Amino acid sequence: MSQAAVEIGTEIPPWTMAFVDPQRMKTMAAILRDPYEVHWDHEAIRPLGFDRVINQGPLNLSYATNMLMAWQGPSSIRRLNVRFTQPVFEGDHLVARGTVTAIDEVDGRQRAHCDIRLDRGDGVAEDVVMVGTAVVAIGGDIDDTSQ
Amino acid sequence: MSDSSTGAAMTEDELHALVGQRFPGGTRTIEHWENWLLTDCTGFEQLPDGLVHPIALFHVPIQGAGTSIAELFEISGAQGAGSVGLDGYDWEYFTPMREGVEYRVEGSITEVERMVSDSGAIADRFVYSIDLTDPDGVLTARITNHWRIRR
Repeated sequence: MSQAAVEIGTEIPPWTMAFVDPQRMKTMAAILRDPYEVHWDHEAIRPLGFDRVINQGPLNLSYATNMLMAWQGPSSIRRLNVRFTQPVFEGDHLVARGTVTAIDEVDGRQRAHCDIRLDRGDGVAEDVVMVGTAVVAIGGDIDDTSQ
Repeated sequence: MSDSSTGAAMTEDELHALVGQRFPGGTRTIEHWENWLLTDCTGFEQLPDGLVHPIALFHVPIQGAGTSIAELFEISGAQGAGSVGLDGYDWEYFTPMREGVEYRVEGSITEVERMVSDSGAIADRFVYSIDLTDPDGVLTARITNHWRIRR
């Protein structure tokens, strides 16, 4: 977890999913009990004009949550509000990025409000596949007494 | 997909009648194996102290509320591959979720909207919201998911 000072404008260290693995989509479909074949059946996806299966939305969001957890700890996330702008396909290279836009205090704890996004590409030619905001408890959830 | 893949498109009146429809409700416990596999799918290291990966807030509320993705497709009248799109999620975490805790889960369909493009294509916004509370009755998380059903 990062110990660096958090202030407006702070760039969250990016988190990379170098290769969206279709095998993980199959496992995810089983966990979710998701019957939508675009996530695991190439025969179903071809009539739609694609030759690669489409990643699940929750997995796309997970890359941003992984970035936030790596930054401020595994129980730091307070809110996620995201919008999906493009489908993500097997084999895609993705990078989650974020920036602190505001800091407030609730019950004596500081929280960072962040813009977050998920970019597809190699850092040169990229398109944005998910955008949104997040609220993160700075320093993790030290109020957690549920253990 | 469900049998609705051969059914007629939902009318606008039928669509609006969905608002307020409650899911059966129920309880849901996240097992260690499930959380392990889920976390592995995201490419992240396993979390300490039985913490549940935040992404569990997609399927756990749906299943805990006594419904399923398949049933939501059927309720919303989704018809075949390519007809369902994800518009977005709004998820709130009030306390950390943990493996082995039996959460109470309740929710309903909260909003719908029929949209017609300039070319005449129809798509319906389908929104549902679900709450999770812990065994002490404390609100643990709330999700609101926005789907788009192409007609």
